[in-house]
Amino acid sequence: MLTGTWQPVRINSLLPDSHFASSVYLRPSLFQIASPLHSTSVPPSSRSPRLNWSEQIDTGSSVVNLLSISKDSTMANTIRLYLTCIRNTLEAAMCLQNFPCQEVERHNKPEVELNTSPELIMNPDLICRNEAEKCLIETPINSIRISMKVKQADELENILAKKFLRFLSMRAEAFQVLRRKPVQGYDISFLITNYHCEEMHKHKLIDFIVQFMEDIDKEISELKLSVNTRGRLVATEFLKQFI
Amino acid sequence: MAAEEEYLEAEENLEAIITRIEHKSRKIETLLKQSKPVDALKTALEGSALKTRDERCKSANWIVVHRAVMAIKDVDGMISSLDPEYYDILMKYLYRGLATGDRPTCDQCLRIHEKLTEKAGLGCILRSLSDTVNTV
Repeated sequence: MLTGTWQPVRINSLLPDSHFASSVYLRPSLFQIASPLHSTSVPPSSRSPRLNWSEQIDTGSSVVNLLSISKDSTMANTIRLYLTCIRNTLEAAMCLQNFPCQEVERHNKPEVELNTSPELIMNPDLICRNEAEKCLIETPINSIRISMKVKQADELENILAKKFLRFLSMRAEAFQVLRRKPVQGYDISFLITNYHCEEMHKHKLIDFIVQFMEDIDKEISELKLSVNTRGRLVATEFLKQFI
Repeated sequence: MAAEEEYLEAEENLEAIITRIEHKSRKIETLLKQSKPVDALKTALEGSALKTRDERCKSANWIVVHRAVMAIKDVDGMISSLDPEYYDILMKYLYRGLATGDRPTCDQCLRIHEKLTEKAGLGCILRSLSDTVNTV
């Protein structure tokens, strides 16, 4: 797990001209999300305005910040309901216990990935907010797999979401509960096993997942905004020579 | 032998179940016309054949329940007047509704889900997840 030092990371440079290639500086504590789940507090330090997840987890804030998501109250209401539904379902579903593998002795595998024994697996729950966004929760006895499909309104958001989530998935080790590859048909997947539940607080894990869902939308909108701003700047500069 | 007999019995019953569902849907239409959405939902939920494995019966029943659910305006009143034995069945149908992905259905189901969870608790959700015998 990375600690301490700043790590500038370029996650996308959509314009061919490298002058305007942007980089998103990720706060190192992004990779320390697991530790706030153990401990009670993480000292806040200078943070980038974009990603301050460990602060969010730190305060244990679980309710959606309605104002920041949308000005439209009905849309904000829907997302609140959607996240509440997911939170309730996760609270009910996250009762995991250790279960050694039935097929191979001395092995202990997350049953959701094996999918061999139907008696171990509960009914999968698909919770859709609308046609574009959905969340699949699969719960066998010793693990839970949460797969999400993020809202992607147009091509640009599609690309941004794919890149951003791929970036996160590649660093799944640091997150501990993230799955390296999303399930087919979804954008990102979490895999929580009984060991995670033993080491970390269950309610904080759920807070993390719900917060993640909330923040992902915000992040992608911000990225889209910055791409459009850069594009406008480039175009202005370029066309100035023709005036 | 017992399994075979069960299977044959199930075959005959399918037709009976589907007729019953059609009968139910007519009753529900009349209740909705009389602006009694709560009674309509109660009618839709009772007598749902949960043990059957036939997809047609389940879909037919789902269509009927869906019609009743979409007509509900007052969620709190509906839940307080519903018998507790129907909470589990309603929760299962809500999850089926949420899986459809259709926006108005999902909105309505999410609204009812929140209120129902407050009333019935997390156990209701867990029963709907873990019950593989009685499915909707």
